[in-house]
Amino acid sequence: MKVTGSAVLHAPRERVWSALQDPAVLVRTIPGCQQLEQVGPDTYRATVLAGVASIKGTYSGDVRLTDQAEPDSFVLHASGAGAPGTVNADVRVTLADADGGATQLDYDADAVVGGVIGGVGQRMIVGVAKKTAGEFFAAVDDVLTGREERILREPSVATGTAPEVFTAPSRQRAPMSAAEMSSAAITGALIALAGVVLGWLITRRAQGRPR
Amino acid sequence: MSTRTMGEPIARREDPRLLSGQGHYLDDIGHTALAAAFVRSPHAHAQIVDIDVTDALDVDGLMAIYTHDDLPDRLAEPLPLLIPHPSLTHGRTPYALAKDEVNHVGEAIVMVVAADRYLAEDACDRIRVEYEVLPPVVGIAAAREASRLVHEDVPGNIAATMVQENGDAAAALAASPRVLELDLEVERSASTPLEGKGVYARWDPADASLRVYSSTQASTSVRAALAAKLGLPPNRVEVVAPDVGGGFGVKIVHPWPEEVLVSWAAITLSREVKWTEDRREHFVSSAHERSQVHHVRVGFDDDGHLLGLEVSFWHDNGAYTPYGIIVPIVTATQLLGPYKPAAYRVEFQSLYTNTVLVTPYRGAGRPQGCFVMERVMDAIAAELGFDRAEVRERNFIQPDEMPYDHGLIFQDGRPLIYDSGDYPATLRKLKKLVGWDEFGVYREQARAEGRRVGIGIACYVEGTGVGPYEGGWVKVETDGSVVVATGLTTQGQGHQTAFAQVAADILGVQLDRVSVVTGDTRRFGYAVGTFASRALVMSGNAIAAAARKVRDKALRIAGDALEADPRDLEIIDGVVQVRGVPTSAIPLSTVAVLSNPLRYAFDTESARATQFALPADPDKPPVPEGEQPGLEATGYYSPPRATFANGMHAVVVETDPDTAEIRIVRYCVVHDCGTLVNPRIVEGQVHGGVAQGVGGALYERMVYDDDGQLLNASFMDFLMPYSTEVPTIETDHLETPSPLNPLGIKGAGEAGVIPGMAVFASAISDAEGFPITRMPISPSELFHLRRAHEEATNR
Amino acid sequence: MTDVHELALTVNGVPRTLRVPARRLLSDALRHDLGLTGTHVGCEHGVCGACTVLVDGRPVRSCLLFAVSVDGSSVTTVEGCCEPDGSLGPVQQAFWDCHGLQCGFCTPGFVTTITAYLDENPEPTAEEAREAIAGNLCRCTGYQNIVASVLRAAEIRREARV
Repeated sequence: MKVTGSAVLHAPRERVWSALQDPAVLVRTIPGCQQLEQVGPDTYRATVLAGVASIKGTYSGDVRLTDQAEPDSFVLHASGAGAPGTVNADVRVTLADADGGATQLDYDADAVVGGVIGGVGQRMIVGVAKKTAGEFFAAVDDVLTGREERILREPSVATGTAPEVFTAPSRQRAPMSAAEMSSAAITGALIALAGVVLGWLITRRAQGRPR
Repeated sequence: MSTRTMGEPIARREDPRLLSGQGHYLDDIGHTALAAAFVRSPHAHAQIVDIDVTDALDVDGLMAIYTHDDLPDRLAEPLPLLIPHPSLTHGRTPYALAKDEVNHVGEAIVMVVAADRYLAEDACDRIRVEYEVLPPVVGIAAAREASRLVHEDVPGNIAATMVQENGDAAAALAASPRVLELDLEVERSASTPLEGKGVYARWDPADASLRVYSSTQASTSVRAALAAKLGLPPNRVEVVAPDVGGGFGVKIVHPWPEEVLVSWAAITLSREVKWTEDRREHFVSSAHERSQVHHVRVGFDDDGHLLGLEVSFWHDNGAYTPYGIIVPIVTATQLLGPYKPAAYRVEFQSLYTNTVLVTPYRGAGRPQGCFVMERVMDAIAAELGFDRAEVRERNFIQPDEMPYDHGLIFQDGRPLIYDSGDYPATLRKLKKLVGWDEFGVYREQARAEGRRVGIGIACYVEGTGVGPYEGGWVKVETDGSVVVATGLTTQGQGHQTAFAQVAADILGVQLDRVSVVTGDTRRFGYAVGTFASRALVMSGNAIAAAARKVRDKALRIAGDALEADPRDLEIIDGVVQVRGVPTSAIPLSTVAVLSNPLRYAFDTESARATQFALPADPDKPPVPEGEQPGLEATGYYSPPRATFANGMHAVVVETDPDTAEIRIVRYCVVHDCGTLVNPRIVEGQVHGGVAQGVGGALYERMVYDDDGQLLNASFMDFLMPYSTEVPTIETDHLETPSPLNPLGIKGAGEAGVIPGMAVFASAISDAEGFPITRMPISPSELFHLRRAHEEATNR
Repeated sequence: MTDVHELALTVNGVPRTLRVPARRLLSDALRHDLGLTGTHVGCEHGVCGACTVLVDGRPVRSCLLFAVSVDGSSVTTVEGCCEPDGSLGPVQQAFWDCHGLQCGFCTPGFVTTITAYLDENPEPTAEEAREAIAGNLCRCTGYQNIVASVLRAAEIRREARV
């Protein structure tokens, strides 16, 4: 199925590109993301907790970045599997300059969803995907604009030697300065998208178990 | 001799359970299932432009949202056209979920599955569908005019055109000394059982099997349809009709979109899913019936004999035709009633409108046909100044003319041949019951007092017990109890009692040892369904056939055991004994044990059948050639044709000279449904039918506006009779057994409703002195008719 | 749903508790939360009477009540119209004797309605009996035998008193 959408991020393309490539940013802004680990050049493994109603589970996803044309576009290939189902997605992301120093981001995803989650209906999957993508971009935007409060946080930085592993802090949005957004070679919005398609509204799905 | 139960008004055995709140109707089961709900079209005719589910995603407990795009393979195709017919050249059926277009208010577009129904409806409320509204076609006049089409590829909105004739009616009319023309109309109504439809589906992934409970009249056929649509082997699908709170025809159509969709969701989500409709859903997404417009030309002689009859009518079949053209075919053929016009031609067009689809409602086209024919007979009587009963009697098929071939094809695809009936005798009984001959005096007295009273009469013939077949299975268990199963279904007709009576009598066991299961494909796999007043005729005879086989086998085995000739044996209260020698006896329970040679005993009784218990003939196999273990048998009944019941009703009404209110003074019924198995159950069926006849004559109509909106989609505005609207019903009956089946049974389920509109029109006409040509009729309509008639008379 | 209410009420003589949202209908609470499926829902808009239960002895349409509104009340459903040993009560017995039901779906509403009615008017005439049940819809029986059941129930109750 196709999922397309766009977002406006309030920073120039180069900073947006960096943020989307920064695992420390992503691990906190992708809904449900618990861990990101670099497992090879341009290849990362993400662990996302996701669920809808009583279908819950941990997904492991591999993400691979290709066709990188900084700061214009890249393609992300994601595949993930978990108890509730599987996803395979190819996502093309393009960045363009927008007014006021902002960036217009467009994504165009081709995804195949299988397993039980795949059975909930296309419109629901696409709808959830777009919604969560929207949440992700809003979170990244908050980071870029420094809107977040600075609070003490657990550091989410690379520990030890490669492979680099980034762990999500507790649910607080960690504040981050522009300087802290170092680059690492992973990819952006579309782990989000992959994670998002898998990353159902966890908190909201906590209730609603049938009798 | 065993107490005979056949013909006795035995109290129903299913009642204690139902009375103590222990019924299991569809919504009473499946408490752990997810709930489905639907977004349905608010427009009568529209293109679907977009479906936006975004706002629904926030609803807690939401599990899935499906549209047509999600449906795979055969599910994405239109639902089956159940009864094809060569004349149905432009049949159309809906998609399970609307694809690009909706054709009536209520058509399902989106299915939501959630943790419970409240949440599912919350989600439905938040789904936004964008439509391009198209102008709808509403009513027969608009459909005929066809300036707009319901389906783009159906010219003139005509689904079917059909002609049947016997003799040359046009020539007969041309040669008739007298000819009358009538225009008659019946408005749309609906079955509206107290329990709506419902589906509960369970998928077992371990053995890839599906079980579906559905409030249906045709569980075996639902199974076949589900297997086909879902791509499952039929033997992996079970369908069970639980207790069903009324059907009256609306639950015969299948598969409903909800039946396939809820089942598919259960498989897809690997969860139990259940859906029960609410009352508004039932009004806008199940089925209606009855709307027809008729034009009649009748030729007759000065003695009132029918010489030729030409009927043209237009049938509103709603937006789709899943049930084919059965209803208008029934009207066309059953219109003839007990009469024999020398020449008859009937032509109908079945037309599409942007309204709920049309499938049978108790009577299934007969009420309309009876209305038409009986108005014709009254019109002839009025024209000639004859007594209305007299005119009818002159045109009756006589008992010695039976079997009578009308030269037409009936709804079962077989020739319309009446098998038996004594119409003159039925009429005699009715006239006596209501005091027909004395009424004229009473009418005059009332007139002198300024009151308006009238008496009406209506006769009908009903083809019942249509095929192709039904089956029955009977087994005597080793404890002496008897289990009976048949595949057709039950919606209050007392099958658990009536079928037990049949089996008990043939087997010679006590009634309370017999239990009956209906409508469960796990227990009996071949069946057709409950409709057309056929259950007792078909399953009763099939069960009888099975019971006879069991009895014969029991007597053979008992004969061996008692060393007696089976012809000298009888079964009394479950004991097989030599006639006149009660000490030479063996209980049926033991016979059942002996019928199944065992290696392993499981209790003391069964030890009698083990290999060392009895001396064995070394040359004979334990299970003889051609036989099977067990005291059980299956039987089928498949008649060559339907069997024809008949009846006649009379009603006395009083109309208020000022307010035009219509009061029912007396209501009399004489009916003939052949042999009665349980007179109390039959009478109950007649009562219920009469109430629906009263409803159809005076109260029930579906009101659509020009936009195709159903204005009275609730019990507040769709009027059905309460106890105060239904009179005391006086009944008498006669029995002319059917020669077509061993039990002599004819059906009775629809008997009460068929002449309802006809008899009230007849009585009101009699009270008012002008013809009534349209039903139902309300006091305000009668008021206006009076005015119109007065004005016409004064001119 | 965040507005979940704790209710305590007596149902068929037994103290029961419920935790339900404010919008939960009494009919749904009885049927699905308490498992008393004898009460049936025929229309959900208070016209057919199939959902009739007795609240503090008076017949009400449970599809028109929120469960929260019967907190502290005593509710009787058709199941509670049986005798303590589970056998049929007089109204139910009368229906059995008179073939007063066919599909049985509307029947629980009649049973509760008539139970309350006979408490008020133990010796109705046929006319009164017909009026007493004129608020409940039945699609199967044509009401003949239900009217007879009212009179028969009165008779059974009279015999029990003797």
